Amino acid sequence: MLDAVAAEWWKLRSVRSTHVIVSVAAAFVLFVVLLAVQEAHIWDGLDAARRARFLLRPLQELGGWVAQLCLAVLGVLAATSEYRTGMVRTSLVAVSSRTRFLAAKAVVVGLTGLVVGEAVSIGCLLGTRLAVGGRPFPDQRASIAHDLPGFVASGAAVAVFALLGLALGVLLRSAAAAIVTLVLVWHVVPLLVYHLPGPWNERLGSVMLSGLPAQIAGLGADHSIYGELLPPAAAAAVLLAYAAVPLALASVALTHRDA
Amino acid sequence: MCRAGSGGSVDDVIEVRELTKRYGRTVAVDGLSFQVRPGTVTGFLGPNGAGKSTTMRVLLGLDAPSSGEALVNGGPYTALRRPLHEVGALLDAGAVHGGRRAFDHLGWLARSNGIGTKRVVEVLEQVGLAGVARKRVGGFSLGMRQRLGIAAALLGDPGVLMFDEPVNGLDPDGVRWIRGLMRALAAEGRTVLVSSHLMSEMELTADRLVVIGQGRLIADTSVRELTDRFARGVLVRSPRPEELVGVLAAAGGTVEAAPGGALSVAGLDVAEIGDRAAAHGIPLYEVTPRSASLEEAYMQLTAGSTEFGAVAS
Repeated sequence: MLDAVAAEWWKLRSVRSTHVIVSVAAAFVLFVVLLAVQEAHIWDGLDAARRARFLLRPLQELGGWVAQLCLAVLGVLAATSEYRTGMVRTSLVAVSSRTRFLAAKAVVVGLTGLVVGEAVSIGCLLGTRLAVGGRPFPDQRASIAHDLPGFVASGAAVAVFALLGLALGVLLRSAAAAIVTLVLVWHVVPLLVYHLPGPWNERLGSVMLSGLPAQIAGLGADHSIYGELLPPAAAAAVLLAYAAVPLALASVALTHRDA
Repeated sequence: MCRAGSGGSVDDVIEVRELTKRYGRTVAVDGLSFQVRPGTVTGFLGPNGAGKSTTMRVLLGLDAPSSGEALVNGGPYTALRRPLHEVGALLDAGAVHGGRRAFDHLGWLARSNGIGTKRVVEVLEQVGLAGVARKRVGGFSLGMRQRLGIAAALLGDPGVLMFDEPVNGLDPDGVRWIRGLMRALAAEGRTVLVSSHLMSEMELTADRLVVIGQGRLIADTSVRELTDRFARGVLVRSPRPEELVGVLAAAGGTVEAAPGGALSVAGLDVAEIGDRAAAHGIPLYEVTPRSASLEEAYMQLTAGSTEFGAVAS
């Protein structure tokens, strides 16, 4: 198993798309911090009444949100680049157990997603706090330790997105189809669910993937499109299921299909 | 070096038994059985669409057989723990990620089977790609990709090698190189199964031939047997044919009239015919051994089994 994991890691780090995707996610941290600097300037020019309503929060969360999409695409490409070129046959000749092959890919893609996700998510929190300095934005008065769990959960969601992308890539074997499906899960379906009649908008909105980190951290939906019905443990379980169920389906498909 | 399979009998390193593979309603391989023995280059021949690649994919555990079995070293391929140490395969040289460097492509393959990077450098040198090891595969010519695929097959120093149409896209030098390589691998006691749709190629490389058409076995034979089977006697011309017929018939030959006043002689070789004619003072204008070329033999064997043949008008 270790050999297979090491081989998958070698594969992932030896293509340009991986470097591009991780660079885009990292560049977004920089972008978010620059925007925070700009907001700090705006803050300085506001009167007390308007300062009380001036929030930093949606901006802080953008990094993790974009990283979700970037790493999901990385997960997709980890599978579909092999199907597109036919290299998957070489892979399966070298690692003849399909389950081991998929598990090794999942370990590498999941860990990459986790590391990049946490770095981006926590980087955005710390970077924006640094940028606004001591300015008491109404949503930035809590300590970093208090805000951290939400951002850690958001970083973990990036790993889940990466694994979901990998599973979709194996199931659909086409980058275009898998990425379209991902964008649906990432943004389009939550928007549609938001417009459902109540109480279904709230119920379904609570199990939308991007809305789970806030519930895991025990935060409210904060007037977002997501629901807030799940207790932290349930939200964590749903988050894991978003990776585990598609991966299980992918494993079944992979073991029963001719390569 | 003498190699034998780690399991099963030493005689049959590759064994295909009553193998059938269907894709939907298309039957790609139909009750195919054959064995491949070590220390030989076995040519796996058939027209396009005959089922050669399918058989190789089933042997490598990529496709599941509809019925029957395909065994390597006495067991199914998927049972091998570190398969590259036992079996090396070149299926499709184009099946590489163009953005990856040659060294990295072989690197991850080696790593997956616990093979060190020292061996990667070795095989790159062996196939003549050491100079472009750090170049991206996307810029490689088809011939270079074939060499890279062969390097991948050699990585684990395996006792069994399978090459699917390895000379496609190679220049004459490359074709000669791979011929020599296959002969050398077999001489080391390894088992080499090489598919081709060109008999002329196999004539120079293979010891044995497995010929299939439309998924069925047509011939499982040695190159020599096939040549002999299609031998058509010796063509003889003489200004005194009647006398010659008598002489040759007395010597045990079977003589028939051939077009253009020539004689077709079976049962005697060129030297015997010459000696007899000389002994009787009969002049000979032509003595030509006639054997169908392997190419012709192959065309006759596979006639009627080409899937994509043109319809004669």
